Amino acid sequence: MNTQAILVQDANEKPSSDFAKLKPRLVQTAEDLLSAFKEVKRALWIARDPEFLRQLVTLAPGERTSSRLLLLEEVSGYRAAFLRAYFATVVAPDPQIRLVSSEVLAEILADDAPQDYFIGGVYVPEDDVLVLYRGDLETVVVPLSWFDRPVGPKPAPEDFEIIDYGQSVRLGEFEAATDAILYGFDADFRRRARQREVQEDHSFGGSLRRLRLEKGVNQNDFPEISARTIRRIENGTVTRPHRDTVEKIARRLDVKPDEIESW
Amino acid sequence: MAYTFELPPPLPAHGWKAKIRDRERLEPPHVTIIRKKNAWRFSLRSKQFLDTQPDPSEVPAELVEAITLGIDELRRVWDEMYPENPVFS
Repeated sequence: MNTQAILVQDANEKPSSDFAKLKPRLVQTAEDLLSAFKEVKRALWIARDPEFLRQLVTLAPGERTSSRLLLLEEVSGYRAAFLRAYFATVVAPDPQIRLVSSEVLAEILADDAPQDYFIGGVYVPEDDVLVLYRGDLETVVVPLSWFDRPVGPKPAPEDFEIIDYGQSVRLGEFEAATDAILYGFDADFRRRARQREVQEDHSFGGSLRRLRLEKGVNQNDFPEISARTIRRIENGTVTRPHRDTVEKIARRLDVKPDEIESW
Repeated sequence: MAYTFELPPPLPAHGWKAKIRDRERLEPPHVTIIRKKNAWRFSLRSKQFLDTQPDPSEVPAELVEAITLGIDELRRVWDEMYPENPVFS
């Protein structure tokens, strides 16, 4: 893990072994709390509950850290709001937000790329989206429509769980790969994933094919461009399509023209 | 529902899984081998690992053998789950 971890733990509590791999800085007293809060930037704080952190009201009034906070026990919405005044990001379970177990969480947080795993999430029915928390506590918002498939079970977001150590999202009987979600929604993840590929067609045609498939668009579903032309581009017969053609393709696939080759 | 390929013992007891989920990266067709927080994509076309990381040599040889022997079944399942991008078009 490249980010400093800070573990808030009651002095009377037996040291937790779950997060030992993170080699966290321990915060057990008010003095520990204040010095960690002021000294360490962009850290990942882990606390069981917000009680101990209430001291920030008197110790660091009006101050805010660039660090992120992960709470392991449920906290009400207004308590989380108080903590958001001090921390850049706060993630905590509640009756709707589900996190993976502490054991799995510790494994993910200790990884060199925790952002490539999901640690929890919540379904927002009013907006029909899934808000997924990555291992770096950043979020990805995925419309439920993204999970639609022509065959197989329908996703059941009310039965939501992160499984396979953060690498799969289960929605009832439906399972989605974390890497498929991140590939679709994070250009930086796409770039890093492509660097790891053994041999992949990184031509414009190869990228177009991957993007078209991800978007669920058929070759004959491009207004103003024939299926034959799309086929010729994808199989490399046409290696440098006309700029005008690229723009039409990008419009149909709802991306910027220069984004096509990132797929 | 996700298709879980049956692996020979003791691989499952040691935490190994191989599955095709309902929503994967569509291209190229592959089966995903999972153990804890490591995942390896194995191509159903070329019968080769698709990525350099995690290191494919960490996957037990008997698991790769089982998948290779079951490749026809895996290809059939992929084609059923992803008719828009069959293994061989």
